[in-house]
Amino acid sequence: MRSALSAYPDLFSVTRFSAEILHPDSIHQKTVFHQIMSFTVEDRGSPNSLSYRLFFKNAEGKYISPFHDIPIYADESQNIFHMVVEVPRWTNAKMEIATKDLLNPIKQDVKKGKLRYVANVFPHKGYIWNYGAIPQTWEDPAHKDRDTDCCGDNDPIDVCEIGSKVCSRGEVIKVKVLGILAMIDEGETDWKVIAINVDDPEANTLNNITDVQRLKPGYLEATVDWFRRYKVPDGKPENRFAFNEEFKDKDFAIEVIKSTHTFWKALISQQTNAGELKCKNTCVSANDSPYCCSTDEAKAVVGDTCPCGKEEPIPCSVDKWFYYERK
Amino acid sequence: MRPLLLRYSLSCCVTSFGSFSASRNKLVTQSVAHLYYLRKTMHYQTEERGHPNSPDYRIYFKTSEGKYISPFHDIPLIVETEQDNDVPAKKPKKNEVEVLFNMVVEVPRWSNAKMEIATKELLNPIKQDVKKGKLRYVANIFPHKGYIWNYGALPQTWEDPNHTDKETTCCGDNDPIDVCDIGTQVCFPGQVIQVKVLGILAMIDEGEMDWKVIAINAKDPDAKNLNNIEDVFKSRPGHLEATVDWFRKYKVPDGKPENQFGFNGQFKDKAFAVEIIKSTHEHWRALVQKQINISVCNIQIYNCRSFSCMLYLVTLQAPAFGSAHPVSPDSK
Repeated sequence: MRSALSAYPDLFSVTRFSAEILHPDSIHQKTVFHQIMSFTVEDRGSPNSLSYRLFFKNAEGKYISPFHDIPIYADESQNIFHMVVEVPRWTNAKMEIATKDLLNPIKQDVKKGKLRYVANVFPHKGYIWNYGAIPQTWEDPAHKDRDTDCCGDNDPIDVCEIGSKVCSRGEVIKVKVLGILAMIDEGETDWKVIAINVDDPEANTLNNITDVQRLKPGYLEATVDWFRRYKVPDGKPENRFAFNEEFKDKDFAIEVIKSTHTFWKALISQQTNAGELKCKNTCVSANDSPYCCSTDEAKAVVGDTCPCGKEEPIPCSVDKWFYYERK
Repeated sequence: MRPLLLRYSLSCCVTSFGSFSASRNKLVTQSVAHLYYLRKTMHYQTEERGHPNSPDYRIYFKTSEGKYISPFHDIPLIVETEQDNDVPAKKPKKNEVEVLFNMVVEVPRWSNAKMEIATKELLNPIKQDVKKGKLRYVANIFPHKGYIWNYGALPQTWEDPNHTDKETTCCGDNDPIDVCDIGTQVCFPGQVIQVKVLGILAMIDEGEMDWKVIAINAKDPDAKNLNNIEDVFKSRPGHLEATVDWFRKYKVPDGKPENQFGFNGQFKDKAFAVEIIKSTHEHWRALVQKQINISVCNIQIYNCRSFSCMLYLVTLQAPAFGSAHPVSPDSK
């Protein structure tokens, strides 16, 4: 399987990422075929502003949803998943797949009318991994997780990618799953998958969570510490975890991911109430999703957003380092 | 820089050099008001030449009048004070006046490029260190990202390689004394800030004495609450411990051994730090007084117009400012 990943800007603020993936021709069929696919991202609005949106397109230039139209698997037989990178390592802007916006572009989270930047909790600077989501997954808020005793957070499942490359916002990479952490964020289940980019130089040596403990000592402890404390500077309490804050292994992680994929399938086929979520998509076949829309309709959605503009500066307050001891 | 420069005549200078368009300038203004005194406002400009992330990149320093200066020799160590004329004449007690030091920022917090005052180049611009022919980037020592403070130097100081430190029996590293600014603001390379000294760490880097002053930007919101090293332990738990850890390990990824420390790796207090700074200032003074070597020149000694023009020529030898080169992924 070719695994080259390349990114280059062109004249129209469009960056191309290529990844070879397996494309199921239907979400219900088992047979798959290899196909070279590439994804493009298109900036709209100005970075670091309320207008900023990052839309996704497939190789044919058709607008797609990173939530619904990028296949969950890069290689199902090898348990290689796709990951949509929302936040590059060491940055602070809280970028997310906008699950309640049409076509689910990446945008910056807003709290109390202000753009959200995650605090630097000493000794950390911004996020300590490339952070993002696995497409075609969903933590169902109507489902109470038996391990955490909390309901899902209504979002795709989150991933922390621990490789050495700092990815770009909107980059779609292939990852090996290594383990999972059961976080409870403000009373909602919020699983954190631990994974590594298949192209990382150390990827071959990392096959399970114990390898991470051995080869990257301190990283998993720092991960728990980060998630425990990251909202405290915003006045929120420390977060809690199930399983005594322990990481579960790869097999457990894959089972959790699969269950969130099942929840998503029910969502996209309208078996589950979507609530405020936008399930419009262009690639899930019309047989499987009543939300499937036309290329032109998708174009109109993008056209309604602000044209691409100059990047705004990040406020200096984002540089503050918060110091406090663990409670 | 080549000694050839000394042969340029005044007439040559006047005609050849037009605009500063080939360079990029930044104005840096620093002033701090005090209860009884106004600090003398120091304006420094920086002028970039060459391409960031390349061996030709230089940051030159100028006064607000556009006169080229050396950040090593021409910026005063101690921030000067002058009495505010509007205040009734009343002599304050000595301890009411906070002594502030000028700091030349070389490396912004959280960045990796090893920028330094080029002590062996005329006018001592800031440039990126090169090792074994490659631009030097400091490694990210988990959990740290790049440098964990704004890092730089105190001007008009020098760790004399001919001087042996009593405690460590090591000799100086031939550089101005290093400073770590623990303030919140992320500064830029070439920025001159005023700092309060809080303490000092006695590092021994590859067998040479390499003091690390701990200080805070006087404009930081916390500055008034931080007066000694103990205050730092309380208000920034973990940062001083991380500082020792960082300096111990930062060269290990390059194949060097862990660094060692004097005083068992303990931080010494402000009074001790000020004494060390004073002695490096005296070493610097001795250096400039006896050295004829042109790389150590400064405006105060050679304060004549032809010399200033010559220095202008020095900077114009440097390539025009251009866009930054990409950083290789291995360096991040």
